[in-house]
Amino acid sequence: MYSYKTGIPQIDDVCGGFDAGTNILILAPPMSYADILAYALIKPHEGEYAIVLSTNERAAEVVDAFRLSGADKRFIGVIDAITKSSTPTIADTQRLVFVSSPTDLTGIGIKFSNMIETIFEGEFSEGEAGLFPPPIRFCVNSISTLLMYRRLEVLYQFLHVLTAKLKKIEGVGIYLLNSESFDDKTLSMIKQLMNCVIEVKIENNTSYLRVQGIRGVSSEWLKFSVVKGQVTTLP
Amino acid sequence: MISTGISGVDDMLGGGIPRGSRVLYSMEPGADGQLFIVSTFLSALERKIPSLVILPNTTVEAFLHDAAAMHGRAIDLSSQTIVFMDAVDRERIQRAGKTAVAREQAWQARIRKVCSEKQVEVIFAYFDLLYEDCGLKKGLTLLVTAIKGPKPTIILEHLNLEGKSLLDRFIREFSFDLVITIQSAFPPIPQFSFFTIAHTSWAKVTKRAIPFIISGGKIVPYIPRIVVTGPAGSGKSSFVTSASDEGHSIDRQGADGDITTVVMDFGNLHGKDFDITLYGTPGHTRFDPLIPSLLHHAMGVVVVIDATKPETFPRARDLIGLMAKQWMPIVIAANKHDLPGAEDEKAIRSSLGVPGDTPFFFISALQKTDTHRVLESMVDRITQFSF
Repeated sequence: MYSYKTGIPQIDDVCGGFDAGTNILILAPPMSYADILAYALIKPHEGEYAIVLSTNERAAEVVDAFRLSGADKRFIGVIDAITKSSTPTIADTQRLVFVSSPTDLTGIGIKFSNMIETIFEGEFSEGEAGLFPPPIRFCVNSISTLLMYRRLEVLYQFLHVLTAKLKKIEGVGIYLLNSESFDDKTLSMIKQLMNCVIEVKIENNTSYLRVQGIRGVSSEWLKFSVVKGQVTTLP
Repeated sequence: MISTGISGVDDMLGGGIPRGSRVLYSMEPGADGQLFIVSTFLSALERKIPSLVILPNTTVEAFLHDAAAMHGRAIDLSSQTIVFMDAVDRERIQRAGKTAVAREQAWQARIRKVCSEKQVEVIFAYFDLLYEDCGLKKGLTLLVTAIKGPKPTIILEHLNLEGKSLLDRFIREFSFDLVITIQSAFPPIPQFSFFTIAHTSWAKVTKRAIPFIISGGKIVPYIPRIVVTGPAGSGKSSFVTSASDEGHSIDRQGADGDITTVVMDFGNLHGKDFDITLYGTPGHTRFDPLIPSLLHHAMGVVVVIDATKPETFPRARDLIGLMAKQWMPIVIAANKHDLPGAEDEKAIRSSLGVPGDTPFFFISALQKTDTHRVLESMVDRITQFSF
């Protein structure tokens, strides 16, 4: 089974990375740079692809963030749920597609499936490595935004389908959720869909993470930083 | 009748959607079927039927842009028969109404006002957010009670995250007249989409999944495989070639000098508003081991016989026996009926052992019109057959 390297020695050294089919919740307070951690975790390695469902920044900004981290943008796709509300006539390209708003779960589902299909058919980009099934890292850069627009029960059902599809294609999914804006019921329901939770906190301007749900990986808080798309844990 | 905008579907429904009907296009997450409601909307627009389109999750401009992209050409609203309520209206309603009841009342007032002013006959609605804002019953009531006088035609698209139980509610509790579900396979299986007419109140349609493709801005029902079989020399290759818009035959000259198919014939055509792929089997018994794999995923079988060669009928009978085990519709095409010595239908049916309800055609396999008559019958059989 394919393993998705994380760049975090405490995970990669123990189990080689995230197993194919793993769905991971990043639970983080606002302004904790959790989005940078999420992007670092889905930065595609050689032969891999990344898809971002962006509910809080434009596709151009997502691509820019990956470019700055040194990722090859040919293997990054974005489903942008933001831009179309201000630019209704924006057209899809092969790797950047647009849905009308974060409320449009029908559109999000279709664009996600179509992008996966394009990758499986080897038509996503030039220079594809041809691994099969193609390793795909997927990120929802904020479930919090989706929860602002749709009811929890609806979103739970939708994410249930999405996470199941990720498992089926042996991808890996990373989902960001603001830990301070939602009640216990919400957090508990979203956690039910995940295999693993990475909690993030900031203390004295230092970022910490802890991993729960991966056998053999310690759930101790680890200091970390992200530089150019690379996660480094600190002593 | 209001056309669905999808010819094959209109035929299956007996011409389209009767006025006053309630229609649901139920979308499975990820199924690329937004063109269904858009096709019906465009059909209403073309016929200048006064309509209201409710788009709570997008703006009119974005909707028209997306619809044009799906349809392949710009949407002409010059007839001024269409009125929209979009995400901006929803936002106003959400902001103005402090309670759920107040918001429902605001929705109702706005929809009624628009329907009355524009004498709306058909309401198209993307139902997800109305369902979420008002609940299923109240959301539907808003639409059902929107027009005073004749029953409005209501056409919904809804992302169904609740499965069959929700469909049952639409049908039983809310008397929906037509429910079409749109689903798709997902990688690693090659992605293909299919629809099912899950319920109609007016047409007798066998509930079954029909694959479709999107071609030229239209939904095109698709029959992935009809097998054409029969004894050697009966005219199968001629049938496939004559019926197809394009096709190939892999033949070899036999010891007796005749040309015979050694692998298969293959052809594509567009007929009766379906895209159809034909696979012709070789006729010699030594190729019989190939037949089960050709029948895999087939939706129907055309058995071609040479009406002038009764000595080949036992072989045809064997092949029909082989097909019958697969439980799929069969049509008989008796070729060369215009030549001397052709047997009559009764004798052929008797020799082949096919019952009277199996469609039977005398044809010349060289005549496109003849082969198309056979395939039209086959499409009808396929869409009505209980697989």
